[in-house]
Amino acid sequence: MARAGGITNAVNVGIAVQADWENREFISNISLNVRRLFEFLIKFEATTKSKLASLNEKLDTLERRLELIEAQPSMRSAIHGSWMLFTRLFK
Amino acid sequence: MEGASLSSGPQEASTYDEISMQQSLIFSDSLQDLKNLRAQLYSAAEHFELSYTNDNHKQTVVDTLKDFAVRALVNTVDHLGSVSYRVNGLLNEKVEEVSETEFRIGCMEQRVRMCQEYMDHEGLGEQSITITAPKYHKRYMLKGNLSNSGGGAKVAKPYQEFDRELDNHDRQIIHAASMKRREKSSSSRRKTHSLSPSPRPQGFYFTESEGPISPFSASRALVRSGSLAHRTTINASPFSSGRRFPLEPQKSASMRFYGDMEEEREVEHNRGRSKRFLRALLSRGRSVKHRQPLST
Repeated sequence: MARAGGITNAVNVGIAVQADWENREFISNISLNVRRLFEFLIKFEATTKSKLASLNEKLDTLERRLELIEAQPSMRSAIHGSWMLFTRLFK
Repeated sequence: MEGASLSSGPQEASTYDEISMQQSLIFSDSLQDLKNLRAQLYSAAEHFELSYTNDNHKQTVVDTLKDFAVRALVNTVDHLGSVSYRVNGLLNEKVEEVSETEFRIGCMEQRVRMCQEYMDHEGLGEQSITITAPKYHKRYMLKGNLSNSGGGAKVAKPYQEFDRELDNHDRQIIHAASMKRREKSSSSRRKTHSLSPSPRPQGFYFTESEGPISPFSASRALVRSGSLAHRTTINASPFSSGRRFPLEPQKSASMRFYGDMEEEREVEHNRGRSKRFLRALLSRGRSVKHRQPLST
């Protein structure tokens, strides 16, 4: 009787150990996938940030160029006016 | 057709707006789900903890927890994938728009630069002191302006260009004809003993006709001497009826033409005189012959 009880106990412990190992494997798989997900998110954040930075830089450049284009005619008209005044004075 | 295109334009725009609105709604929904996933995962973890401690069927609770964890992970991956895809597409679209705007601004800059260059050019033209030389048509020249430096230079050009255009064959033919004519005129001069004060100019285009030249045609030829010279050179061929003579590029056309005319008149006059002289001699000889038989 005692011998049979010892065998069943050993079997139960073995089953429990196997289940525990299966659970551990499952948790490690889940944690690995979550880590992969994080890595992807970190990479995505980096690429998106770099893209946004380049976009911002381009937009800044465009803004400056547009401001320059807007300012050129007024500047030229001012120069032309001063030149005309100069020629009238010295004629 | 235009109306249809105009009507289809707003429709397309409206459909585009609708599609973009739908896409943005889906994107915001997925983002909201991703935000709510955290709270859901925390609540699910608490629920499974409680059920594992209180419930007797622990194995079933563990299996359900495993299933839930797997589904949650897959759902998160799906959400993150869709969100990242949409964000990436949106960024690329914006980058394209920015590059298009850059191109447009480049075009605008180029236009502005062109306008400035034109303005500068015009301003320089206004400010600088320039004397505009009189311009004449290339083929025509005025009578009195031959000595004028501006007009003369402009008139001389077509002759030089024309002379360059002549090929070697034409030049040889023209040279031979002029030599023949020169020999003929010198022999006639020797015969008639005429005094010609002006040196013989070397060939202008002139038909060798025996009749007198009308002054009207000569004056017209003078007025349009440039065009006449051009035309005659174009028509100058060995198959033409009248013999034509070449043009010397260094001398003025009108001078040559006047010289030719005077010389031709002199030659004609001398020929007429010699003919009259010969007729007088012949008539005298005949009268002598008639008289001799009468006397005999």
